[in-house]
Amino acid sequence: MNELIKLGALVKRNIKCYFKDKFLFFVSLITPMILLVLFVTFLRSVYMDSFNGIFKSCGFELSEPRVLEGLAGSWLLSSILAVSSVTVAVCSNAVMVSDKMENTINDFLITPVKGTTLSVSYFIANYIATLIVVLSVFVVGLVYLAIVGWCLTFIDIMKIFADILCSVLFGTLLSGIIESFISSQGGLSAISTLVSSMYGFICGAYMPLSQFASGMRTFICCLPGTYSVGIMRNHFMTSYVDKLTELGLPQVGREGLLDGFDANLHFGGDFNGLNFSGGVQIPVWAMYVILLGACLVLFAAYIAIVIIKNKKRK
Amino acid sequence: MVIEIEKLCKSFKDVKAVDDLSFSVREGELFAFLGVNGAGKSTTINIISGILKRDGGIVKVCGEDIDEHPEKIKGKVGVVFQNSVLDKRLSALDNLKSRAAMYGIYGSEFNERLSELDRLLDLKEILVRPLIKLSGGQKRRIDIARALINSPQLLILDEPTTGLDPKTRQTVWAVIEKYRKERGLTVLLTTHYMEESAVADYVLIIDGGKKAAEGTPHDLKNKYAIDFIRFYDKLDEAERLFGSMAYKLNRERDFLEVEIKGTDEIAKLICKNPQIFSDFEVLKGNMDKVFLKITGKNIMEV
Repeated sequence: MNELIKLGALVKRNIKCYFKDKFLFFVSLITPMILLVLFVTFLRSVYMDSFNGIFKSCGFELSEPRVLEGLAGSWLLSSILAVSSVTVAVCSNAVMVSDKMENTINDFLITPVKGTTLSVSYFIANYIATLIVVLSVFVVGLVYLAIVGWCLTFIDIMKIFADILCSVLFGTLLSGIIESFISSQGGLSAISTLVSSMYGFICGAYMPLSQFASGMRTFICCLPGTYSVGIMRNHFMTSYVDKLTELGLPQVGREGLLDGFDANLHFGGDFNGLNFSGGVQIPVWAMYVILLGACLVLFAAYIAIVIIKNKKRK
Repeated sequence: MVIEIEKLCKSFKDVKAVDDLSFSVREGELFAFLGVNGAGKSTTINIISGILKRDGGIVKVCGEDIDEHPEKIKGKVGVVFQNSVLDKRLSALDNLKSRAAMYGIYGSEFNERLSELDRLLDLKEILVRPLIKLSGGQKRRIDIARALINSPQLLILDEPTTGLDPKTRQTVWAVIEKYRKERGLTVLLTTHYMEESAVADYVLIIDGGKKAAEGTPHDLKNKYAIDFIRFYDKLDEAERLFGSMAYKLNRERDFLEVEIKGTDEIAKLICKNPQIFSDFEVLKGNMDKVFLKITGKNIMEV
């Protein structure tokens, strides 16, 4: 009981440290902001043209342009949420690194709190802080979709909420493991920059996987972060594509949208512009299994690191 | 004994930071731990406070072995670190709350403890302000409040006044002395200021991780420091007299310093040569000289 109260106090302290550091908070929002700027200036028109290209190739004429605006917006939002789940977690976990750098950790090591409680507090605080930021972005995104074109159902929102919970868990564990080996400002900056710039590409958040060469696509499909994007794309886009189907979009066009924009993920195979030939389509439940399985492996690794570090403390 | 250390050893790779160090600290004592940077003071303190593990030796704090009951010991120890390790962006109150919770102090117990510390350190006005916006002296008051939050039996002060202005140093010491007198607190101090070590009950000097000397400041000064007579009048006569007796002299523009081995000798010299002792003062050897004599190093320069 006493240890739980200590854990609660540490979690509260870690979260406060993150949100009170305005620079850190700003840096952690850079990736979603870059994506937003890219979308407004460039990506929106590119994807609208791609959607229209699919419609044209299957002879479909859209009568409600708001659905198309909403579909592009939902694609963007799924990218932002999936990437932010990792990049925000990396920045938020900087509290742990700065505690090591500034020797603040010593102020806790001299207290009767257990080393494992301290490590777990960083993990929980990072999860909660990242969740708060990602959910805030989600709410802003939903308001945007409500303005440009709304097709989501309550079930979709609940599914996306579950996706966010899983993705943030993945991001928190990943950042916890990476940053447990960092104890300098230089190392932290390097990791933040690397993750912010690279993660979006290697999980297929910036560009649909169908646009990648087959080998690269297979490689990206081997990375668990891809499935965080995959489940979000599926849950964001399916209702929009259903609406388009209601408006007369042929099955081939429906498949083209879902396959071409990663709402359906394929392992292997070739994309011909409208659908995949060969390869295996990965069902949504399998994406969850892969993502949560990766979380389980990362969790085991995190616990092992915590135990070894506590034993090895000089 | 509040601290009992026997044959303590700690190495970092090939460097022996602490080498076969033994000492003990009595209850209620102000114990000064002196050494140049890298002498092994902080390493020893970090071992006592549970931050570092040792390679060998026995460490007992408040009668308990640090290996057997680390949590119990940590509850009885408070530390003021050389540099503040509190959260700069959080308010002083948030800092104290989060640290108090680590000792199981929260709710009404915390409020009671806080008012007690407020009476001692006058914290009210600075509690809600972020640490980053406090002056050096105000931050130090919060550091001390944090170290005393668990009502420790042993307070470890690692160079607590380094970098502070003289007035703030005085305030810090007034608070610590007041608390010591009220609670019978044992204090283990490391400092670069020799005047602070001079008021300690007991002094341990370490050099290269090893014990170099120990004793009360009075004993150490008598054993290692040289006293001086400083003449401000009749300088030429005094210089001739003491020069002829092969005393070590130091002539400056307006005074002459004569090195004397002890106060007994001064009394004899005054009786024998009263004519030259018209304007003079006797300067007792200070802790700086003790430290220099023992280690061959000037503590402020290393």
